[in-house]
Amino acid sequence: MRAWTLLLGGLVVWTAHFLALYGVASIFPGTTIANWLVLPLTLVAVAALIFLLRRSVVQMASRDSLDRWMGRLATLGAAISLLAVVWQAIPALAR
Amino acid sequence: MKSETGFDPALFDRFPTKEERPPGEIEELERVWRAPRGWGLLTAVNNNYIGTFYVGAAFMFFVLAGFLALVMRVQLALPLQGVLPQETYNQFFTMHGTLMMFLFAVPMMEALGVLLLPQMLAARDLPFPRLSAYAFWAYFIGGTCFFMSLFFGLAPDGGWFMYPPLTSTTYSPGINADFWLLGIGFIEISAIAGAIEILVGVLKTRAPGMTLARMPIFAWAMLVFAAMILIAFPAVILATLLLELERALNWPFFDATRGGDPMLWQHLFWFFGHPEVYIIFLPAAGLVSMMVSALSRVTLVGYQLVVLALLATGFISFGVWAHHMFTTGMPTLSISFFSAASMAVSVPAGIQVFSWIATLAAGKPRHNTPTLFLVGGIVTFVIGGLTGVMVAMVPFDWQVHDTHFIVAHLHYVLIGGSVFPVFAGLYYWTPMMSRRPLSERLGKWVFWLMFAGMQITFLPMHLTGFMGMPRRVYTYLPGMGLEPTNMISTVGALTFGVGVALFIYDLARNFRFAVEGTAGNVYGGGTLEWLPNGLYAARSIPVVRSREPLWDDPNLGDDVEQGRYFLPGTPTGQRETIITSPIRAEPQYLQIMPGPSVWPLLGALFTAGFFLLLTIQAYTPAVISGILAIPSIMRWLWETDRPVAKQEVDVGGGIRLKTYATGPSTHGWWAMIMLLIVAFMVFLMLVFGFLFVFGVHPEYWIDFNASGPALPIAAVYTAGGALVLLGRHLLQREGSTLWSPTTQVLLGCLALAGAWILDFALWQDAGIDPEASAQGALIMAFLSLEGFLVGVAVLMGAYLALRTSRNMIERPRSVTFDVTMLFLVYTAAQGAASTLLTRLFPGGL
Amino acid sequence: MLEAWPPPIFDPAGPYAWPITTLSWVLLAMAAAVLVLVVVALWLALFGSQRAQAKVGGTKIIWMAGIALPVVVLTALLLYGLWLTSSLSDEIEGDEMRVRVTGEMWWWRVAYLDDEGQPVSHDANELHIPVGQPVVLELESGDVIHSFWVPRLSGKLDMIPGRRNLMRIQADEPGVYGGQCAEYCGGPHALMGFVVVAHEPPAFARLMIERTAREQAPAPGAASQGAELFQTTGCAACHRIAGTDANGLAGPDLTFMGARRTVGAGILPNNTGTLMGWIGNSQAIKPNNRMPPYPVLSREELQAITAYLEMQR
Repeated sequence: MRAWTLLLGGLVVWTAHFLALYGVASIFPGTTIANWLVLPLTLVAVAALIFLLRRSVVQMASRDSLDRWMGRLATLGAAISLLAVVWQAIPALAR
Repeated sequence: MKSETGFDPALFDRFPTKEERPPGEIEELERVWRAPRGWGLLTAVNNNYIGTFYVGAAFMFFVLAGFLALVMRVQLALPLQGVLPQETYNQFFTMHGTLMMFLFAVPMMEALGVLLLPQMLAARDLPFPRLSAYAFWAYFIGGTCFFMSLFFGLAPDGGWFMYPPLTSTTYSPGINADFWLLGIGFIEISAIAGAIEILVGVLKTRAPGMTLARMPIFAWAMLVFAAMILIAFPAVILATLLLELERALNWPFFDATRGGDPMLWQHLFWFFGHPEVYIIFLPAAGLVSMMVSALSRVTLVGYQLVVLALLATGFISFGVWAHHMFTTGMPTLSISFFSAASMAVSVPAGIQVFSWIATLAAGKPRHNTPTLFLVGGIVTFVIGGLTGVMVAMVPFDWQVHDTHFIVAHLHYVLIGGSVFPVFAGLYYWTPMMSRRPLSERLGKWVFWLMFAGMQITFLPMHLTGFMGMPRRVYTYLPGMGLEPTNMISTVGALTFGVGVALFIYDLARNFRFAVEGTAGNVYGGGTLEWLPNGLYAARSIPVVRSREPLWDDPNLGDDVEQGRYFLPGTPTGQRETIITSPIRAEPQYLQIMPGPSVWPLLGALFTAGFFLLLTIQAYTPAVISGILAIPSIMRWLWETDRPVAKQEVDVGGGIRLKTYATGPSTHGWWAMIMLLIVAFMVFLMLVFGFLFVFGVHPEYWIDFNASGPALPIAAVYTAGGALVLLGRHLLQREGSTLWSPTTQVLLGCLALAGAWILDFALWQDAGIDPEASAQGALIMAFLSLEGFLVGVAVLMGAYLALRTSRNMIERPRSVTFDVTMLFLVYTAAQGAASTLLTRLFPGGL
Repeated sequence: MLEAWPPPIFDPAGPYAWPITTLSWVLLAMAAAVLVLVVVALWLALFGSQRAQAKVGGTKIIWMAGIALPVVVLTALLLYGLWLTSSLSDEIEGDEMRVRVTGEMWWWRVAYLDDEGQPVSHDANELHIPVGQPVVLELESGDVIHSFWVPRLSGKLDMIPGRRNLMRIQADEPGVYGGQCAEYCGGPHALMGFVVVAHEPPAFARLMIERTAREQAPAPGAASQGAELFQTTGCAACHRIAGTDANGLAGPDLTFMGARRTVGAGILPNNTGTLMGWIGNSQAIKPNNRMPPYPVLSREELQAITAYLEMQR
């Protein structure tokens, strides 16, 4: 279970961030409240991703070859999620 | 080396074994796996047969749906033609989309999974062969009857997206729309059955040593594909259920005049509908990755990046559903989020495309038919991907949405990303299933006709869209300048059709189904499906030490055939395969598999009968058919989960495995968890619908003052769940006191049923009226959903009691008990949650 | 009627359309450039020299062309798209002229609104606007989902039952701009067009004054045979003509039928022949539309009704 959590953690964070953003935009449509809420949500997501990245980078130095491989995959997953989270936040923060 | 399960990986070094195998072993293996003959073949459950039937049926629907498209193109060749009357055209385009999506694309991918995965993973079969058979027959019978509706003018005509209110009884009074809702709803159930099968198969039945890092990329793709089905399909299942309830019982979920909202359908439909595109694309991308590597004779360049791309697509594609709704007037901020996610989801596609190009460059690709289809597919898919990025730009989409530009875009994506790879795959893998490979000479003609036809049809269609021609139009007016591009598109479509016809000719000439004595590894692939094969798959299950074992160990085929690896015979005298752990594929136990049976076929027949008879409003026969389905399915299950004489057997190399396992490591447990994910997603979508409709039209909502009994009802549900857990605890603790654990389960069932009846009766008492407003309809929907689960739970309890009375539940034989327990506990939890939500919202908080 | 050439998306006529045209050209150029890149890479992979193949055949190209390049291009596009989306959907000030357009199966109900949002003049299948100023459209639906689209003036926006979507259009030159329903709405959805007519502001103001006055005045031709037939044969049950007893609301308002440019919701030019043919048997022209055929009417009667309608301007 821990292996899966690390492997998919980054993408799960992206999903949670996306749904949270969709949620606030739907609950406060057409107001700036949603825009303001995006910033803290994004900071939380980025912090979670950095935490995951540190864990997965450590695992990349493991002695077991499969652990190393999974660590690298987890790192890549967290990295692409970081990119997607930042993109996700641009619409709200750009104005 | 680390271990996942306590199994010592050093034991793998015992293989290949040296000693001679006992005589008669292989004959015994053949006897156990022999397929029934003649009409008995209909009862076969082996993946070689079911997989081939499945691919054949999916291809048949491709041809039928393609034929509809050709007729539509002829109608559109010139303005104001009368080839197809308006009503028929509207049915044709609805059926074309529906057949291609639900009866060709998804089933074709599942079919290829059923056919190829066991071989690629060197498993004897998928873990639930009878479930595959049921899924296939349900799909085939249901799909065929669904198609027949065209001949009676009863085919649905609301578009494959079925937007209400056009599809409500007011504007579609005929049973045409019901055919779609019940037919497709039913076929989705079959798709989910297949997805669970594939997920458990990939995670639990890989050859020993095939860690996640050594899995064939197609298995990765199918893993993501199946997981996406579990998450996405419940949304459309719920949507079809709600719309059918609205049509049949006048419950206004989507009716704006009574507080419903037509946009709810669009959200639910596209929450399924966009991931659907990737559900179709990912397995095909997996096929491409397998084939570019095999045909170039190098390992896939950037394997890990491609795995990442598959996983990332699996997640991010759930954040793009509203990009089909940019023109519905959603708030700018919301649609911008979807635009951003639509950008993000194209990065993984770029990774895969350049991985394929790099692999082609790194190796020496031979210029044969599969390679042609792959390269043609890549170019076509890239064009579709680029127009996809264009329509992800919101203002551009405002212009081209629902025009022929989109028709061109989606066909580039789906033909390039899915159809061409499937055709490459049909050429590449036919030698595995046929005595003769398909013809290379004809194949090149097939490719060039299809490729040219594709470009001629759809490249000018972008322009047709720019010129303002909307989609889903049965004709257009003369003198506007739309004639030239439409005529060119029709010529292209006919060219494409000739290519497909030539392929059928090639099939007829060269495809000769066989399990033994096949043409074999014509294209020199390196993965396990090219091991020497029988109906039992490979004679022995090899230890996997790399990603392309056949390339890295030239003796592998011979060693496997001589039985020098795992499970060279059948130690229990039954069909069996090795269950391995999900990450490192360490052997865990020996699974006994069920053999041929007529019950899955009958179960499928009666289930299909239930839905189809319901559609044509023959209610009594429908109910009879539905009731007959239940004992059929129970009868098929009855023969499973049986005791085995030997508790432990030698599976080769002196390694001994248990023949029975129980608890969270078993394939049954995993499958039930996945089924519960589906149930939970249906529930979650209903919760979304509840909150969404409240958010749009709160003025229609009444405070029923119903919150009083919420906690007591939830407590009864919880008590039911607790009793079931207690039963399981008793079973584990004491040996075989027959009734006590099962009695707890039955009491639990009683509590669940009691809680539900209480909930229902109190709502009736509170004056709820499902026809009056969407609020009432949604609360009744929660009750109905829970009522359905409770009904199934009671049936499962009865089945458990029956087995207990026959001494079939006692330690350690508790798999049936375990899965019942999981289902009942979930039912209790959902019951408590829906009681609290409906009774405490909006007034009681 | 929609003219297909030059493609209307590339022939914008107002400030809510031309930025999208610019965007379209940028996107097409981007797509072409990336496609060339992919095809060149594929060509080198298959037929290139050994050196070229070695260059293409590694993970480096995935990182460069499959990840880095898309990230740069997509970030730029995303910012451009977001900026454009929000600039095209600026807050609506509220002092623009407003028209309510309601999608019906398979035609368009049009009502010009005064400052209080009350309808002052009714029409169908034709929308008159002044040149050079934005006009706000209140898009609604009377039955199923439709989508309002005049490609030369703006992108499309759906008309959804139970909701009101606001959209702005503006034409910079006088002229006639074709439109079309873009959301499948069943039956003859293909034949659900309309036109937008843009006038110079003085001419437009005159038109509105005339029309508002006409809504209050008796209809012309009240004594004609056509007027009587219009009442007796059932036309009036579905159609309204201001200033008469005909006040049916199920079908298009015919108060200004004689001035309309098209017949059958944007599908035929309006002249005596087409109008007469439509009244006699519209089912032959637009199958399954809601207006029944009238085989009982003689040629003379049809002529009379047509003449009466042509007087309604």
